[in-house]
Amino acid sequence: MNLFLLGTSHHSTPIDLRERIDFTRRGVAHALAELAQLPGLSEVVILSTCNRSEIYVICDDPQSTRPALTAFMSGFHDVPESEIAPHLYARTDTDVARHLFRVAAGLDSLVVGEPQILGQVKDAFTIASEQQHTGVFFNRLFHWSFGAGKRVRSETGLGEGAVSVSYASISLARKIFGKLGNLGALLVGAGEMAELTATHLRSQQVRRIGVANRTASHAAALAARVEGEAVPWGQIRRELTAYDIVVTATGSVQPIITRADIESAMRPRRDRPLFIIDLGVPRDVDPAAGRIEQVFLYNIDDLRTIVQENLARRQSQVDLAELMVDAEVDKFMAWLRSRAATPTVVALRERFETVRRSELARLEPKLAGLSPAARARVDEVTRLLIEKLLSAPTQRLKALTDEETVGAYTEALNHLFKLAGDEGDTDAAARGHVSGRMLASTRGRGR
Amino acid sequence: MTSVPLALYVAASAAYGTYFARRSDTAGRFATLVLVGGALAHTFVIGMQTMQVGHLPVVGTTGAISAFVCLLALAYLYTETMTDERAMGVFIVPPMALLLAIPALTNTVAARPPVLDSPWFAVHVLSLLFAYASFALACVIGITYVLLFKELKAKHLGFFYSRLPSLRVLDVMNGRAITVGWLFLTVGLAVGAIWLLQVQAGAVDPRVQAMSLFDPKISIVILMWVVYSFALYARRSIGWSGRRTAVLSAVGFTVMLLNFVPMGYFVTRSHNFY
Repeated sequence: MNLFLLGTSHHSTPIDLRERIDFTRRGVAHALAELAQLPGLSEVVILSTCNRSEIYVICDDPQSTRPALTAFMSGFHDVPESEIAPHLYARTDTDVARHLFRVAAGLDSLVVGEPQILGQVKDAFTIASEQQHTGVFFNRLFHWSFGAGKRVRSETGLGEGAVSVSYASISLARKIFGKLGNLGALLVGAGEMAELTATHLRSQQVRRIGVANRTASHAAALAARVEGEAVPWGQIRRELTAYDIVVTATGSVQPIITRADIESAMRPRRDRPLFIIDLGVPRDVDPAAGRIEQVFLYNIDDLRTIVQENLARRQSQVDLAELMVDAEVDKFMAWLRSRAATPTVVALRERFETVRRSELARLEPKLAGLSPAARARVDEVTRLLIEKLLSAPTQRLKALTDEETVGAYTEALNHLFKLAGDEGDTDAAARGHVSGRMLASTRGRGR
Repeated sequence: MTSVPLALYVAASAAYGTYFARRSDTAGRFATLVLVGGALAHTFVIGMQTMQVGHLPVVGTTGAISAFVCLLALAYLYTETMTDERAMGVFIVPPMALLLAIPALTNTVAARPPVLDSPWFAVHVLSLLFAYASFALACVIGITYVLLFKELKAKHLGFFYSRLPSLRVLDVMNGRAITVGWLFLTVGLAVGAIWLLQVQAGAVDPRVQAMSLFDPKISIVILMWVVYSFALYARRSIGWSGRRTAVLSAVGFTVMLLNFVPMGYFVTRSHNFY
C-alpha cells in the first residue's frame, strides 16, 4: 500500500496539451468511476484545474501503477501515450504529501500564493469523497493539506497583495471606500482594459457603471455587456461630480481630463474622495490632478509597480512557507507511521476476543444453569477484563512512530500471542507487514 | 490595587503590538481577551475604591486619570466589537498603560471635600471623562487615517496599507467618536456651570471661588469645545474631508491632554481637589 501521484502541470506541460487532458471536459466524477475500476487502487482523487491534471491514488505497487495511470489518461482523453508520457511527473509516499501540501498552499501555482487553488483542492476531495473513492488515508491527507494551506496563508504574506493590474485597482478602491456597493464607476474608453476593469467592478457590486466613448455605439455596446449606462462623450466633465471611481483607457494623445476639470467637480462633490485609474498611454488624465486633496490618481505604471512589489513580497515569503509545509509533512508522516501498529492492535484484540469466546463456549455446560441476567453479567465481566488488560498495550502501540520499534513490537506480539499462527488473524498480521513495508519506503526517500 | 489592571494593560499592549506586526489572529484574540480582563479588573478596582471611601474615586487628577483610562478601555472595546477591527489597539492600549502608571504609582484615593458632595459632581466629571475618552479614540483614529492617506497619496503601499481598515471606515469612526465626545463635553460643561452657580454664592472654599472662565483649565476646556464644535460643523456643513477633521481631532486631543495632566497638576487654581 503506497501513496502515489501522477500528473501534469504548467511547469512541465504546454497549454495546448493541458487543454486536451483536462478532466473537467468529460467530468471528474466520470473519470473517477473509470479509474476506480483499475486493479490495485484503493483510494483515488483527481485534481483538475486549468493549470494541472493530477491523479492521487493509494496503490499496491507504484511500479505497475505508473504505466496503468498513463494508459488511463491516454485512453480517457484520447491522446496518444507517447504525447503525454514525456510531460508526466510521478511522486511517491512522502513526496506525494509534500507536493499536495505545496499545491494547497499555492507554492506550486503559476502565480505564487494565488488563493483559488485551495478551494479547488477541497472540491477535488469532495467529489472523490462523495463517490466513496476516499478512505482513512486520503481523508487524513487531504484534510491535512487544507490545514497546511490555510496555515501558510495566515502566517506568511504569501497570499497578500494584488498581483494583477485590474485586481490592484479594485484593492485600492476598497482601501479608499471600503465596500463598493454604494459607489458609481465611470469608464472613459470602451477597449479591452476598460472592459476587464468594469467586469471586476461589477463583481464587487458597484451600484452603477457609466461608459463614455468617442464612438457612442461602442459605449452603448460595452454598457450593455457590463449592465451599465452609456454616457455622452461631451458630458464627462459634468459626470465627474456623480461618480466615485473613474477608469480611463483611451488612445487619446491629449489628456481628456484636466486638473481644472477635477477641481471644478470637487466642490459639488463636497470633497468626497475621487479615485481615478488612468490606464491610457499616453495618459488620459493630467498628472497634476493627483495633487488635489481628495483625488487619488493612479496611472498604469503606478499599478504595475504595485503588482511588481506584491510579487516580490510574495516571493520573499516562499522560504518561510516551504518550512511550514515541511513541518506539516513531518507531522503527517508521523501520523502515518503511527498507523503501522494498527493491524497488530486489531490482531491482538481479535486474538483475545477469540480466546474469551472459546472459553465461554467451553464453560457452557456449567453456565447453563444460570439465569439470563447472570449469564449476561458473566459475558460483560469477561469483556471488561479483556478491555482493561489491552488498554495500556493498545495506547502504547498506537503511540509508536518509529518503524523499527513497531516492527520489533509486532514480531514479539506475533510470537508471544501466535497472532500469525493457526488460530490468529493471518489477514491482520499480513496487513501489518504490508503497512510496515510502506513505511520503510517512506523513510528511505527523505526529501 | 491598580497594579493588576496595569499589568494586564501592559500585556494587552504587547499582544496588540504582536497582532499589528504579524497579523496573527491568535495574538489579536488574545489581546482582546487580556484587555477585557484588564478593563474588568480596573472596573472592580474602582468599585472597591468607591466602597472604601464612600464616593467615586474621581476627585483630583490622579483619580480622574484612572477613571479616564477605564472608560477609554471600555469605549475602545465597544468600538472594536462594533467594527471587528483590532488594528487600532496598538495605538490606544499602550498610552492607556502609560497613563495608568500615574495612579498606580501614587496608589492613594483623594478624600472628597464637602463642596463636591453633590450628585452634579458625578455627572459633571463622568461626562467630561467619557468625552475625553471619545476624543482620545478620535485622535488615534485620526492619526491612523492620516498615515494611510499619506501612503495612498504617495503611492507607496506599505506597512499601514496592509494593516489598517479603509479610509472610509476610519473617517466614519472618527466622526462618530467626535460626535459622541462633543455631546458628553457639552453635557459635562453645562452641568458644571449649573452646579457652580448653585454652590459658588455661599462657598468659602477658595478653589470654588477661583472657578471662572479665566481659570486656565476652564478656559482651555471651552477652547476644546470650540475646536470640536468647529470640527463637527466643518464636517457637516463645509464638507471638510476626512484628513482635515482627522488632523483637527488630533489637535483637539493634544490640547485636552495638556489640560488633563500639566494644567490639572500644576496650573489650575480651581480644579485641584487632591
